[in-house]
Amino acid sequence: MTDPLLDVRDLVVRYGDVTAVDHVSLSLAEGETLALNGPSGCGKSSTALAVLQLHRPHAGEVRFEGRELTTLTERELRPLRPRMQPVFQDPYGSLSPRHRIRDAVAEPLKVQGRWTGADGPARVAELLDRVGLDPSYGDRRPHELSGGQCQRVGIARALASEPRLLVLDEPVSALDPSVRAGVLNLLADLQDDLGLGYLFICHDRAVVRHFADRTIEMREGRVTSG
Amino acid sequence: MVSPAGLTRLVCLVAVLATVGLLPWLSHRDPALTVLRARSAEQEPTEEALSAIRQDLGLDAGPLSLLGNWASDLLHGDFGTSWVSGTEVLPSVIAGLQVSLALMGAALGVAVVLAAVLVAPVLVRGRGSAGAFAAMLVALPEFLLATIALLVCGVWLGWLPTAGWAGPEYLVLPALALGVPAGGLLGRLVADALPAVLDERWVELWRGAGVSRTRVSAAALKRVLPPLVPQFGMVAVGLTGGAVAVEMVFAVPGIGRTALGAAKSQDLPLLQGSVLALLLLGLVAGAAAVGVRRRLLGPALRDAGLTLPPARPVRTHPAIPSALFTLLAVTIGWGLLRDPYTVNTGARLAAPAWAHPLGTDALGRDVLARLGHGAASTVGTAAAICVLSLLVALALGFLPGIAAGAADIANALPPVIVGILVAAAAGPGTGGAALAVALISWPALSAHAAALVQEVRASAFLTAQRAMGATPFWILTRHVLPSVAAPVARHALLRLPGIALALASLGFLGLGAQPPTPEWGLLLDESRAYVERAPWAALAPAVALALLAGLAVSGAAAVQGRRPTRRAIGASSTRRGARVVQKETSVGV
Repeated sequence: MTDPLLDVRDLVVRYGDVTAVDHVSLSLAEGETLALNGPSGCGKSSTALAVLQLHRPHAGEVRFEGRELTTLTERELRPLRPRMQPVFQDPYGSLSPRHRIRDAVAEPLKVQGRWTGADGPARVAELLDRVGLDPSYGDRRPHELSGGQCQRVGIARALASEPRLLVLDEPVSALDPSVRAGVLNLLADLQDDLGLGYLFICHDRAVVRHFADRTIEMREGRVTSG
Repeated sequence: MVSPAGLTRLVCLVAVLATVGLLPWLSHRDPALTVLRARSAEQEPTEEALSAIRQDLGLDAGPLSLLGNWASDLLHGDFGTSWVSGTEVLPSVIAGLQVSLALMGAALGVAVVLAAVLVAPVLVRGRGSAGAFAAMLVALPEFLLATIALLVCGVWLGWLPTAGWAGPEYLVLPALALGVPAGGLLGRLVADALPAVLDERWVELWRGAGVSRTRVSAAALKRVLPPLVPQFGMVAVGLTGGAVAVEMVFAVPGIGRTALGAAKSQDLPLLQGSVLALLLLGLVAGAAAVGVRRRLLGPALRDAGLTLPPARPVRTHPAIPSALFTLLAVTIGWGLLRDPYTVNTGARLAAPAWAHPLGTDALGRDVLARLGHGAASTVGTAAAICVLSLLVALALGFLPGIAAGAADIANALPPVIVGILVAAAAGPGTGGAALAVALISWPALSAHAAALVQEVRASAFLTAQRAMGATPFWILTRHVLPSVAAPVARHALLRLPGIALALASLGFLGLGAQPPTPEWGLLLDESRAYVERAPWAALAPAVALALLAGLAVSGAAAVQGRRPTRRAIGASSTRRGARVVQKETSVGV
């Protein structure tokens, strides 16, 4: 069998004296969806942040595309970061209220030095189209959009980095039930087309059952089944 | 373990004390000359005589040993001897302190009575606020109020004595001048916070259960007071600064006047002693506020604290600040077209006429012209200070731990005392006054910046930036700074009139711009001597300063009323708003 896309071993995350994640191990293949399920406060989101190296874990290994991330410095990590992208729970909070949608989606291209005046705007329009938004939305600001539309912008911004892994931290929990299905279907389509791996964090069992290939249950920082 | 805030607090306190101790070394002019002139006017300033005095004062030993000697003498209760009179410093300091404490006590009484008058209608009606009247009282600086009280009650009506310290009737006007702005602030803080507290659930419940109005009112007051006590401490600090101006206007022989006189005559030991006493007063007031707060809160809430629901401050129609601004701008613009320096002794103290729309001063100079040019220098300097404090605030906003400690000390220092220290070290002047005001005008801005930085840093979109591989520099310049700079810059602009008032107060005390520069505070001071013959010359800068004070308050209120409360920082920003106003009063001396 080939190397998994993501391989986590004995991950430990502590905040002061509190151990939020206690020796969690998981592994995820290309094109697979792994759900992390559990009650609030069980350490799901801490696991997500630690996998992304946005909160450095206290102990354990995080291998991504065959490379160990925990030993890298922030500078060494920066060129690898675009390969794994987060999508957050709060659709409005994950976009800067000051910037237009177009700028939010263009920012990864600019940060990663892939923006050119000639085909940058076309790439942004293509990404907006890809997540089911009319490119004319690019002129708007986050507060002029609905929660579902903002979440689609967040997904477009993540795709702009051309990732292999998306860490979806409760991506539909803040949305109306009527909008949820649309966003989940979009995520499923993207996975089929691009072969992305999804680490899908969710506390809603019904959604998990419908969406995930495999499920890991967490409780009080530990994996209880899966 | 010492927190960074505690450490910087200590460092800043030591720095302030060291500045006081090093004054003889910091002041550039040769103090030996001052001493010689004062002690024996007939003696020639020969080199031997001067060096004998230098040795006598320990000035030739260098700064460190000077500081060491001063500190060890101080620990033995030796405050040194006055350079000018040759007498012990300690008795004059104690005598001054007694007078000032009596004055401050009386002023505190006035303040409490006034605050009660402002709060009572809100308690009775259960809603409303202290209104624009209280806001106006808060903004009037003590030196202006003192001058007006002196004019009206003392000179024109002749009801009360206006100079000296010979009996209880001498206490009335100074106590009013000092107590009214403080009372306005106390009353306004409580009255603005009360309506929101009276809307809380428990009030309804108590009323439904038949608890008497009096008991509900008492409980509401007890609920309101503890969170406001730190600001009451700042009111007390403001009193020590205000006392300097009030004592000067009414010739009260208190500690503030002693300090000011010592600064002007370069009598540094007396200045050191009296400034120390003033600092001590401020620190004791601050500590007392902490103690009172603990007492009011009781052991259960001591650590958890008790926050107030967001206050509902007075709202002003935007037309009021616009009208005030236009009136000031037109007056200033007209004055700028005229010549402020031409002396015409033939037309001294002329009444307003077409040739001189606001009359002339004691040297026959045009008052309108001096007002206009004075505004340019006062407001121009204030704008420079605003920009400077904005930059400091933005820098310190990223280091909240360090900034908080320094801000505690800066908040405990009234501008007048800093102004006295700077003037003693560098000589009075516009630059020194600007430095003094700048040194203490940044804390409110940096607290605001720190809150915004914290808010932005905690947001998910910044995490997204890191995840896409953005460098810290990119995040700082593209996201954090733009989010923080604009609101803090607006805040800085709102503080401009208050800072201008602080500069005017230093000018009024002779610590800022020097004659013949037309500066508003200086104009008011110069015209005081001729107030019976030419009231318009005094009235013009007084009215202009009052308009500026009105602009400070109504501008802030109009902006506050327009801005929707933001969820995360709503409560803290309103509290900060009150603190801004507080700083402006203390800034008004």
